[in-house]
Amino acid sequence: MNIERVWRVIATGICFAVFGIGGIAILCALFPALKLVPGPMRRQRYAKAVIHQGFRTFVAMMTRLGVISVEVRGGEKLARFGLFILANHPSLIDVVLLMSLVRRPDCVVKSALWRNPFTCGPVRFAGFINNAGGPALIDDCIASVARSNNLILFPEGTRTRPGESLQFQRGAANVAVRGPTAVTPVIISASEPTLTKGTPWYRVPQHRPHFTLTVLDDIDPATALDSSMDAGLAARRFTDWLQHYFTREIACRT
Amino acid sequence: MMDKQEIYTWIAQTLVDTFETDPARISLEARLYDDLDIDSIDAVDLVVKLQKHTGKRMQPEAFKTVRTVGDVVDAVHQLLKQ
Repeated sequence: MNIERVWRVIATGICFAVFGIGGIAILCALFPALKLVPGPMRRQRYAKAVIHQGFRTFVAMMTRLGVISVEVRGGEKLARFGLFILANHPSLIDVVLLMSLVRRPDCVVKSALWRNPFTCGPVRFAGFINNAGGPALIDDCIASVARSNNLILFPEGTRTRPGESLQFQRGAANVAVRGPTAVTPVIISASEPTLTKGTPWYRVPQHRPHFTLTVLDDIDPATALDSSMDAGLAARRFTDWLQHYFTREIACRT
Repeated sequence: MMDKQEIYTWIAQTLVDTFETDPARISLEARLYDDLDIDSIDAVDLVVKLQKHTGKRMQPEAFKTVRTVGDVVDAVHQLLKQ
């Protein structure tokens, strides 16, 4: 192992530590202070702003430490509100990268993070959407976009296993079709598999991974579908459509 | 008032029309989620259609425990008897 790679192992450890401490600090210090802000909606917006800024700083730290490098293409398309952002999910830090790029971020978070001491503070105070599943989840997502949050969703539901094809669940398409709301696709590609599912954090890739986030043009589900269709069928069609679209767009970027 | 056979026929046809379910896979024993790819969101749509068709108010909760097409037929039959 060369010295650069050893450094990346240490730096990755530092990043995880900072992430954990940041989560606890937000839980203990910062967000209780938000109780002084009147109104639950305003409080959530402040909390989202704190998380957005926190992640911006965190991503800057990761790049400065040389753990990763990041490049954003079409980032100006993210400078809006009320976006429904769909992305593929190759690594653990995807959501960190995306939340560092969009203001007023919202996200569907698995229930386990509500119980994790490092993450329960931020996810609660920012009012992220608990992945309880079913119709309530779809309604929560639609409502979030309507409140002009920028909702980030990974249609795969979990990180892609390296080497396996994309397998989209129907939730994302259901939100788009039933909203109805346009979709802003983001293609995430990493030059090296990094923090993939089932890999321990200290097994860093041979070379420093370069992340490219490509923001593509909005997709109106109506353009991809026949409008007379029932929502249930439209969601199935749009799921297939999106899965093909992402598979194609990822393939031409690797 | 529909009998069980009529209810089954209506449900099978609605699954084909609404979700393009393969008719060959539909049977009383077919499991909605595992065999027919009908999730809880689809189930709500299905209940709405059932209400329109029967003109009877139905709570999605009445279908909470259903697993198979046969369970749905039984649940609908019970509701229509009330």
